[in-house]
Amino acid sequence: MPHPESVLLGLSKLNNILEVDPKARTARLQPGVTNLAISEAAAAHGLYYGPDPSSQIACSIGGNVAENSGGVHCLKYGLTVHNLLCVEMLTVEGERTTLGGGGLDSPGYDLMALVTGSEGLLGIVTEVTVKLLPCPEVARVVMAGFDSVRAAGDAVGAVIAAGIIPAGLEMMDALAIQAAEDFAQAGYPKEAQALLLCELDGTAEEVDQHVEAVTNIFNQHGASSLRVSSDDAERALLWKGRKSAFPAIGRLSADYYCMDGTIPRSQVSHVLEEISKLSAKYQLRCANVFHAGDGNLHPLIMFDSGDPQQLARAERFGADILELSVAVGGCITGEHGVGLEKLNQMPSQFSEAELHQFEDIKHAFDPALTLNPGKGIPILKRCQEYRALPRRHSHD
Amino acid sequence: MTDALQQLAARVCAAKADATPLYVHGGNTKKHLLGRTCSVERTLDISKYRGISHYQPQELVISARAGTPISELESALAEQGQMLPFEPPRYAGQATIGGTLAGNLSGPGRPWLGSIRDSVLGVQLINGSGQILEFGGKVMKNVAGYDVSRLQAGALGTLGVICEVHLKVLPLPEASVTLARDTSPDEALALMTNYAGQPKPLTGACWVNGKLYLRLAGAASAVEHTAQIWGGDRVDGAIWTQLQDMTHSFFTPSAELWRLATTPTAPCSDQADQCIDWGGSQRWLRTPPASIPQGAHLNLFSGGDRQTEVRGKLDQVQQTLQLRLKKAFDPAGILNPGRLYSWM
Amino acid sequence: MHVELHPRYSDNTEAKRAGELISACVHCGLCLATCPTYLDTGDERDSPRGRIYLLKQLLEEGEAGAVTRTHLDRCLSCRSCETACPSGMQYGKLADIGRGMLNIEAPRGPVERLFRFSLRQTLSRPALVAALLRTGQLFRPLLPPRLKRKIPLRQTPGAMPVSTQPRTMLALSGCVQSAATPLTHAAAARVLDRLGISLKIASEAGCCGAVNYHLGAHSDGLDNMRRNIDAWWPMIEAGAEAIISSATGCGSTLVEYGDLLQHDSVYAAKAKRVSALCRDIADVLVDEDLTLLNIERDIGRVAVHTPCSQQHALKQPDIVNTILRRAGFTLAKTRDDHLCCGSAGTYSILQRSRSERLRQRKLEALQVDNPALIVSANVGCQLHLDEESKIPVKHWIELLDPLTHQGH
Ligand SMILES: Cc1cc2nc3c(=O)[nH]c(=O)nc-3n(C[C@H](O)[C@H](O)[C@@H](O)COP(=O)(O)OP(=O)(O)OC[C@H]3O[C@@H](n4cnc5c(N)ncnc54)[C@H](O)[C@@H]3O)c2cc1C
Ligand SMILES: Cc1cc2nc3c(=O)[nH]c(=O)nc-3n(C[C@H](O)[C@H](O)[C@H](O)COP(=O)(O)OP(=O)(O)OC[C@H]3O[C@@H](n4cnc5c(N)ncnc54)[C@H](O)[C@@H]3O)c2cc1C
Ligand code: SF4
Ligand code: SF4
Repeated sequence: MPHPESVLLGLSKLNNILEVDPKARTARLQPGVTNLAISEAAAAHGLYYGPDPSSQIACSIGGNVAENSGGVHCLKYGLTVHNLLCVEMLTVEGERTTLGGGGLDSPGYDLMALVTGSEGLLGIVTEVTVKLLPCPEVARVVMAGFDSVRAAGDAVGAVIAAGIIPAGLEMMDALAIQAAEDFAQAGYPKEAQALLLCELDGTAEEVDQHVEAVTNIFNQHGASSLRVSSDDAERALLWKGRKSAFPAIGRLSADYYCMDGTIPRSQVSHVLEEISKLSAKYQLRCANVFHAGDGNLHPLIMFDSGDPQQLARAERFGADILELSVAVGGCITGEHGVGLEKLNQMPSQFSEAELHQFEDIKHAFDPALTLNPGKGIPILKRCQEYRALPRRHSHD
Repeated sequence: MTDALQQLAARVCAAKADATPLYVHGGNTKKHLLGRTCSVERTLDISKYRGISHYQPQELVISARAGTPISELESALAEQGQMLPFEPPRYAGQATIGGTLAGNLSGPGRPWLGSIRDSVLGVQLINGSGQILEFGGKVMKNVAGYDVSRLQAGALGTLGVICEVHLKVLPLPEASVTLARDTSPDEALALMTNYAGQPKPLTGACWVNGKLYLRLAGAASAVEHTAQIWGGDRVDGAIWTQLQDMTHSFFTPSAELWRLATTPTAPCSDQADQCIDWGGSQRWLRTPPASIPQGAHLNLFSGGDRQTEVRGKLDQVQQTLQLRLKKAFDPAGILNPGRLYSWM
Repeated sequence: MHVELHPRYSDNTEAKRAGELISACVHCGLCLATCPTYLDTGDERDSPRGRIYLLKQLLEEGEAGAVTRTHLDRCLSCRSCETACPSGMQYGKLADIGRGMLNIEAPRGPVERLFRFSLRQTLSRPALVAALLRTGQLFRPLLPPRLKRKIPLRQTPGAMPVSTQPRTMLALSGCVQSAATPLTHAAAARVLDRLGISLKIASEAGCCGAVNYHLGAHSDGLDNMRRNIDAWWPMIEAGAEAIISSATGCGSTLVEYGDLLQHDSVYAAKAKRVSALCRDIADVLVDEDLTLLNIERDIGRVAVHTPCSQQHALKQPDIVNTILRRAGFTLAKTRDDHLCCGSAGTYSILQRSRSERLRQRKLEALQVDNPALIVSANVGCQLHLDEESKIPVKHWIELLDPLTHQGH
């Protein structure tokens, strides 16, 4: 949401794919190119772009750089920052510079890494060169339903302990399963308390080997249902539900408030139990979608923004969840960024000196605080006020 | 917060107070590598600040104080069947994790397994004002605030004293095979690009002394099957350790060692004595190439005149930004002044 | 998303319904990439989410201007956004209500009003369309090429089946279809006849009401629907198994009768029954034994164009492909199947240049695999594509009709 008095700089029309180099396995893109369009363009060469946020049909590579977006495949293939080679940026003074380069290292400070995930606060990304990966020979999804979140959480741990890094490993709880299934009709087990989707990719032999291992692990952990995708259409269908899970919650509730804390994987059962206590306390339902592979938890708090009381409760509920994430050793945002929404929680993760350091970095790039004013980093002298002020969280 | 840490912070505070620069070092193995020689008298030795502080194999995360030797980390990980994905040089057990991050050193698996910059999840840092700060964390994803942790990679200690590092680790591969064959460097480059474009478990591709080496690592079935398809002589994996630790005969001290970071498809240098690593993305040369390919960066890695600039030139815009950034972390300019660039 | 209705609308049932519909949207933006007009202009206001926000503004501020109308006019009503929306947003219904409200809140100038009025009056009257078309076809040889292409060649429908079969179904003969592509109905009747079904027509029935309703003339549209219900009712009572439409655009309106007339105390129950009985011809054939037909399959690769009404309204995106594949035809690969061809009812007349761009894009997407012909399931799309297509465009039912291949 932009500052009420700010000028909105829309880059979505800069949507040309400037070059795909199949030999060097790179693509040079304007910032408005959508994430999915990159992989579609690369497909002709048997290549694809790794990070695949669920919003991939709509979100732009410029936005991905600004948020350091991940996706269901980021445990194995990394976040945006891991898949970039070069970023062309306009400074706030309007000067153009190129960060990164054709090789894997660049001289001086790694400003490309710093700008990635900086929420558009340091400069305007005008061109991006990404790495492309060869499309795996085979990819299959193992879907398993469990009677409890704990059993599913343990099964996740066991997969990692077995030395397998799945291409994707996602978990959904009962409410999320219900909403996603209503939309996607993917055949999710609606009676399950937790669902795991585990994608294994690689050469045909490797996938066979890993599918067998994962299936055994899930069975040992008491999976109540199990299904392995037999072709790419079925695999896409199984992912469709997961990838639409956020907005599908709109079927259960007028509004939802999506949280984005990351927690140590082993804490997931504990955190979900705490969330269900909070849900009772605030009298608001909460569905949970979890990038189980990398510990990124998305509780979706359901409320009706037409009811100011519910709105206020949803905000407090959300704040409690973020503080819980920090308390168990995690952080307040894994991939969606701080924006305006989580400014209040920044002081629970960072000390005053740390926030000061952030401010100094911002000053180095944008001394007059022109870019995305008021976002990402709380202005220190107002920190205390922020803590005290009941913000109006708005969804529109 | 430990006393040792407070003492380190106090030393930085004191240095700032009397405006006397510090040279930060761990194992001190890289004093004359990577950057310019830093002619600073007062040193801050952090090699005593060491030890693994936190390791949960199931989380794929390890945390260690900056002075911890790489070899210590590696043996702790190996016990749990895990490894540092970025395969850093260990240099006879001297290299520390802090120095490795500061130097952004990574081994032959870089294009496939990533660099230390890619693996670092969080750092504890003392900035130039002597403040102890924590950025990132012990979890896989974190976008709260700017990514100060990754910014330390390659900064050669000029933005702060790294005190503790949190890293993502990976399981050791189930199997690994090295294939070798005789080729010209041009042919090797073409083959590397071709193989890297295939969805096979390739994790290393280099050319040195007339031979192309390919490393396959991962699930046993995939490694074995690919090795059969690709063919070549099966040799032991010694070449990879030699590249990782730079103990290969190619690296025996020479007057100058240049490193070119470029696209894998950039044309091959005509210098007879060269080493190609990272599937073509890293070229080691004895003398600077006649021309630098578009988008590539050249660094005088070791030897030569280390009082002049040894790193690639930055454009004016970036010089300004980098200098301002340096000031943001180290306003008094006391941390490794001149180590990265003479003007910084 | 919550809508705070403007006090002006506190007693307005349409406005309330619109507010409820909007509450399903969680503004995630996943619909944007599937919206043909957003892909065309890149303007958020030409996207589903943008239009939802514009209507939200109308409901909350109690007024709207020409800008809102312009962006709503550009909407094709293709409902691609509905298929994409995980949150279950019923955009089509919202757009219809919005258009009705805008006709009142932001009235058009007199010239435009008159044009739209005549368009509705003409297209919703089959006899008038037929007469105009005949005249056009008569003078076709004399017309300049541009106009010539607009007038389809006269079709020879061929002999209708005469026998009486054990099962009967009713046919909606359609307005434009009965005049421009009579072969479609005839072919459907022959195919069903082979399968043991007689297809009957109620002569008093006419336009399904879509033309009027989607242009915001709600009461005229509802009148069309009531008239059709009256015409069909005796035959329904006499045991007709289904009401068959062979134009998915009309079919998708028929299934909405029940919903649209739910507040009509006289017609509500009948409308519901009609909607329940309504089926597209594909819906019938997908369950039948196609080996009873003797079909000429050796006609080259067939590119299937799936009309928006079929995939996004009737939600049967693959049904024609399934039937043709089962019947033994070789289908050509196509791209971007979810995007509208630009025909969209009266859109090709009211938004000509945009419609032509969409058609160009669609023709390219249909021909990536060099097909021998294109088939569609809706007369509007068929005629629209045929105007510019270098290869023949037919209704798919013609492929199953043995008579068609014997040169009739
Ligand atoms: C081609 C080659 C040749 C080599 N030759 C030699 C050799 O001749 N001799 C040798 O000893 N090693 C050599 N090495 C090994 C290499 O230097 C080590 O592998 C490296 O990892 C050492 O780490 P360190 O802890 O010793 O770093 P250090 O040398 O202590 O530090 C490296 C840089 O990081 C900074 N730094 C270190 N720790 C911190 C910290 N905690 N916070 C902030 N900044 C920090 C330092 O200021 C310095 O700029 C060689 C390596 C290569 C690649
Ligand atoms: C349904 C849904 C699912 C999602 N799933 C995921 C997921 O799985 N993983 C994930 O990581 N995220 C996810 N997200 C979050 C979001 O999609 C990503 O953060 C995405 O990268 C945002 O891209 P955008 O193009 O929409 O950016 P915008 O929303 O337009 O912008 C985001 C921020 O980036 C800045 N920005 C945009 N472009 C530039 C530029 N060129 N230069 C500088 N700054 C710029 C903007 O100022 C703004 O602060 C999801 C969101 C939704 C709605
Ligand atoms: S996809 Fe649905 S919920 Fe999302 S913006 Fe579009 S209409 Fe709204
Ligand atoms: S109906 Fe079609 S044109 Fe209209 S908003 Fe939806 S997708 Fe866009």
